[in-house]
Amino acid sequence: MSEPEDMSRRDELETLLPFYLNGTLEGVDLEAVEEWLATDPAAVAALEEAEAEFSGVSAANEAVRPPADALSRFNKMLDAEVGAERSESPSMLAGLWARLTAVPASVAWGAAAAAIALVLVQAVMEPGRPGGDFEIAGTEDAANMPFVFVTFTPEATIADIAAFLAENGATIVAGPAAGGVFKVGIEAATAQDYDRIVGLIAAQPFAETVAPGRKPADGG
Amino acid sequence: MTAAPSQQSDLELVGRVAKGDRAAVRLLFMRHHARIFRFVARQTGSESMADDIANEVFLELWKQAPGFEGRSQVSTWLLGIARFKALSHLRKRKEEWIDDADAAAVPDTADTPEVAVMKDNKANALRGMVNALPEEQRSVIDLAYYHGRSVTEIAEILSIPVATVKTRMFYARKKLGEALQAAGFERGWP
Repeated sequence: MSEPEDMSRRDELETLLPFYLNGTLEGVDLEAVEEWLATDPAAVAALEEAEAEFSGVSAANEAVRPPADALSRFNKMLDAEVGAERSESPSMLAGLWARLTAVPASVAWGAAAAAIALVLVQAVMEPGRPGGDFEIAGTEDAANMPFVFVTFTPEATIADIAAFLAENGATIVAGPAAGGVFKVGIEAATAQDYDRIVGLIAAQPFAETVAPGRKPADGG
Repeated sequence: MTAAPSQQSDLELVGRVAKGDRAAVRLLFMRHHARIFRFVARQTGSESMADDIANEVFLELWKQAPGFEGRSQVSTWLLGIARFKALSHLRKRKEEWIDDADAAAVPDTADTPEVAVMKDNKANALRGMVNALPEEQRSVIDLAYYHGRSVTEIAEILSIPVATVKTRMFYARKKLGEALQAAGFERGWP
């Protein structure tokens, strides 16, 4: 389908504005839009309209909420597709989780949290060292906390993880889920703080994989 | 291994998936599921269907990862798979699709602009108006504004020519402009 015959040059530029706003415009199209914006006052008004559309479309999409248990059900589908997951040199935490998977699902999470918390508290309650600075966060604390997903290397030690998280205001709030994925809460007020701490976690030898999760509300 | 988030790219994760790494496919799921789910839900109008299709998309990722050559972004690839699967599901339901020329002339069956403007600000009104667009136009709008895709990426995802992407964007924005004007909001174009 070709472009409409009644499409004027201004119409063409208007049509490119969404792509200018999302940062994907390039080459001659980008030059044309930038020149238009620089020389025609009406272009600025048109850009504001596109920005309003941007907000409306974002709101319409964000209103669609994915189910909370999607990952869990996907894991089951994956297991059904390729068979149950084999164990692969589990780390200390992953090994703990592996043992806990024999527990009925209804109590596994609570048991895991309690067991891990016990191990972590033991790890940080060394003589002469302040205790209680590493914990499984409570449900209320974790509800709105920025977080990141982390998997740890097989060589990771509880002491290393505990020391690092305590120093950086980070807390394990859930996990490990299947695959050894932990949800780590981050006490960051801004996206910049969040990125800095996530970068620090990723740079640690014990971090195998780091996937950003919820950022602070400023969204930057 | 130590990898910053930016270093542990989608492409690297797909490489791990190709070697049978389930943790990698789960990480990709966590990164992209919400947007895939929303994309399909808005295409099909069914969250339950979107739930099934989104999971199928990531199973497809698991199966196809060894053949992925990285010619497009992983997210673009996933959206393309989602689009294909959504169309397949809809065809099974024998729903009819409309072509561009008809789409420009077909009246909306959802909220009228007058209903949309019952909401007391432009953003809310626009949200309703976007939802009322024909699916083919709404997909282009969603992919550009919400998913941040380029013209060529949208063409790839929807399997349509670049010119058609622009045409649908033109009609979609024109329709939004008309709806805003009808609702009493000032809008200079078209």
